[in-house]
Amino acid sequence: MLLVRDVLDKQMVDRHGNRMNKVDGLVIRWGDGEPPRVVYLEAGALTLARRLGRRLGGWASRLARRWGGEHTESYRIPWNRVRAVSLEVSVDVDAAETRVNVVEDWLRMHVVEHIPGGRK
Amino acid sequence: MKRLVEIALGIVTGIGGFLEAGSLATAAQAGADFRFDLIWALILGAGCLAFLVEMCGRLSAISKHTVPDAIRERFGFRFFMVPLVIMQLVMFLVMATELGGVGIALQLISGVSYRWWCVPVGLLAWALLWKGTFGLVEKGVSVLGLVTLAFVVGAFHLHPPLAGVLHGAVPRLPSHDGAHYWFLAVSILGASISPYLFFFYSAGAVEDRWDVSQLSINRITAGAGMGFGGIVAIGALVLAAVVLHPAGIKVDSFEQLPLLLTSALGHWGFILFVASLAVACFGAAQEIALTSAYLMAQGFGWRWSENLPPSDDARFSLTYTLMTAVACLPALAGVDVLKLTNISMVVSAASLPVVVMPLLVIMNDRRYLRDYCNGWFANGVVGAIVLLAFVLAVVSFPLMIAGGG
Repeated sequence: MLLVRDVLDKQMVDRHGNRMNKVDGLVIRWGDGEPPRVVYLEAGALTLARRLGRRLGGWASRLARRWGGEHTESYRIPWNRVRAVSLEVSVDVDAAETRVNVVEDWLRMHVVEHIPGGRK
Repeated sequence: MKRLVEIALGIVTGIGGFLEAGSLATAAQAGADFRFDLIWALILGAGCLAFLVEMCGRLSAISKHTVPDAIRERFGFRFFMVPLVIMQLVMFLVMATELGGVGIALQLISGVSYRWWCVPVGLLAWALLWKGTFGLVEKGVSVLGLVTLAFVVGAFHLHPPLAGVLHGAVPRLPSHDGAHYWFLAVSILGASISPYLFFFYSAGAVEDRWDVSQLSINRITAGAGMGFGGIVAIGALVLAAVVLHPAGIKVDSFEQLPLLLTSALGHWGFILFVASLAVACFGAAQEIALTSAYLMAQGFGWRWSENLPPSDDARFSLTYTLMTAVACLPALAGVDVLKLTNISMVVSAASLPVVVMPLLVIMNDRRYLRDYCNGWFANGVVGAIVLLAFVLAVVSFPLMIAGGG
């Protein structure tokens, strides 16, 4: 398995087969005298902004600290939750119980449900 | 029997979905200015479109992934930003054109300026997406779009010289106004090979849950559907060549275009023209709004489906909502719809390489297509289309300046 070819930017699907973001970033830990290890998958706009450039990344982090409430970093999924890597990356979490969908949920509650026909 | 229905539906989709503001306007301008000489550009455009659409359908049927999915996954996020930004801009321009086109159609029957129609039309298009399903959009567009066959009927009615028509099917150098000729050729190709169609088609294959068993239907839909669709556009070109060219009429606004059908079919021609323009542009506008949302959702990995209620895919639904709202603005501001059409077709042609080139790589990736990768022939064709796309991208803007008027 090659991390960039096979994991980065792939579609993540949760335990129930629901789409939950792409793998926006990987967190790798270098220990003393240990080989580097992937510890987290990252999902979030902040990670994406950092990938586009250092200045944009810095600007996005400041914005997140200012307006993001308690969410000042991208959502992280521990590597040991990864179940399978094929065309998709299956992770053993329930998307509904995580904060990977904070933006989605906020938009549903504050915008979509206020538009006629937007409520189920 | 089910097969036959599916095949028929595929062909209907091709016919009903091919014509829109851009292909109608460019075909009419070509016929008025150069008689049958540019028919080859329509044939070339429909042919390229058929090949590319077949590939997008195959990719989705085999891998269950769409073209934007594959671009992001295969080339990474930084590369994906390029087609994302360019395509959203192109789709904004084309959708503004389509809403303007529906507006013009309503202006022709009501006398009320197109400017006042774009907001109600945009609202209706949006409401149908908000409450409707993918099947409703897909089948509605195709079945109502059959009214555009009026252009083929009209063209036959006027008995165009067959030799001239066939002569035009062979590419040739212009006899006069070289820059304008090539500008129209590029616009026709831009209007036919619309990049948004690939994304729409590949998302549609996932929405309709295609699998390997649909591959033959996919091929027929792409080949016959786009073929028949191209014939509708050729019908419009032939009508313009027979009606407008001898009278020396230059197409400088959409309001002249009912002439195409009134001279062949009288008052019914007028009604059929208005219906064709309204239906074709309305359908295209809906497809573009959806495609804009597909592109975002698939690129970023959001939940998406036109079959889900908006509360289950809020970001997806709000993307097409926003796109529809923004696309109403140019027509509302009174921008000339024909000028907007010509600009968006050229921009559309210029944007082709960023979509077609990745497709060439993806269609040879066995992780996506397993045993159904492109063969040497399909690769040769896409290679040629990539070359054509680069030529179009390079020449489009200079030609717009030199030959746009």
